[in-house]
Amino acid sequence: MRRASRGRLSERRPGASAAASAVLVVYALLVAAGLGLSSAYWITGGDYPFGAVRSGAWTVWPRAGSRDADPYTRAVNARTGGIPLGVGEGLVLRAAADDAGRALDARCAYRIGTTAPQARYWTLALYDETGRPVETPLGRASFSSAEILRDANGSFTLVLSREAQSGNWLMMPEAGAVNLVMRLYDSPASSGAAALDARSVPSIVRLECGS
Amino acid sequence: MTLRAQFLLATICAFVLAGIVHLATVLAIPHLAEKDAFSRLRATLSTDRSEIVAAPGDQGTWLPYPDPGVALSTCAYTLDEGPVRVSARTGALFQSLSLHARTGGVFFAITDRAAIRGALDLVVMTRRQLDEALASEDPDEPSRDVRIVSPAREGLVVVRVLAIFPSQRSEATEAAKAVSCTIDRE
Repeated sequence: MRRASRGRLSERRPGASAAASAVLVVYALLVAAGLGLSSAYWITGGDYPFGAVRSGAWTVWPRAGSRDADPYTRAVNARTGGIPLGVGEGLVLRAAADDAGRALDARCAYRIGTTAPQARYWTLALYDETGRPVETPLGRASFSSAEILRDANGSFTLVLSREAQSGNWLMMPEAGAVNLVMRLYDSPASSGAAALDARSVPSIVRLECGS
Repeated sequence: MTLRAQFLLATICAFVLAGIVHLATVLAIPHLAEKDAFSRLRATLSTDRSEIVAAPGDQGTWLPYPDPGVALSTCAYTLDEGPVRVSARTGALFQSLSLHARTGGVFFAITDRAAIRGALDLVVMTRRQLDEALASEDPDEPSRDVRIVSPAREGLVVVRVLAIFPSQRSEATEAAKAVSCTIDRE
């Protein structure tokens, strides 16, 4: 009797542990697939995750337009359809927050100036959260280096606000988060973002916020 | 091994595997993507002229973060039938030309400053096509083409023309449309 029951027990044990192992293998595979796929999806869904260089309020991805762009940068472009600016063409600077680090908000007014990094031309454009140029009744979403009015020293001030301003002014959309992109075309800074120091990039100062 | 130890081991294995899956997915995305620039422009492979993707001030383009001051046009190319000759005429407006491999990476970029008598001419080819061209060339009369080796068989030629004033927008669009990308059969 006793021997028989022991025999039955040792027969049942391997079966139970095999089932447990199978469950654990399935569990490990599911967790691996879930975590791996979702993290890859998440990290390639927004900005380029690596290689950012900060300068003042602005962020630059100096290698995004080069031959040695990292796989994450390529994946982000593949998902968004983005066409990066090549290193030999120019450099892209993006700002989603002001100098104090507060996110750019369409209900606030901002003063941008007064210098820009050296470049043959530059453009400064205002976008909504999804990467579309802002739509305002005035139909203008950008300024170029040739259009902007400068003072006697060659410095400029651009105001972003909902209400009309004298001088260089870009109309803000009604509401929502916005971000600014400055593109330097044919710039010596594009070959090395190290040349881009915080004093040469325009400052972004928040003036006042409406309701 | 106790059940608890087995569970821990399985969890550790899951995390290691998750890392591998993550890397493999990131590497595979450019090959599998259906909304990347090349896939969207695949239909233009057979055309000989560049096509406008974003006209200056265009709100309707699929291109994320388009520069409202720039006319951007592209030619999709495949090097299967031979090298691709890209020729652009430069004018008064800033113009730049870049070559993008299909799965990402800008492998060549040039601006109108490099133009010779108002013309930018490039021949995009594979390494093998370059070797063939070099082998069949007359050593006394070397070709003057600027030859660029493409790391991939498929890619995009991207042309940007800057309208620094809104009044130049149509001129910029015309200039961006006028770039030709033809298969070079010699």
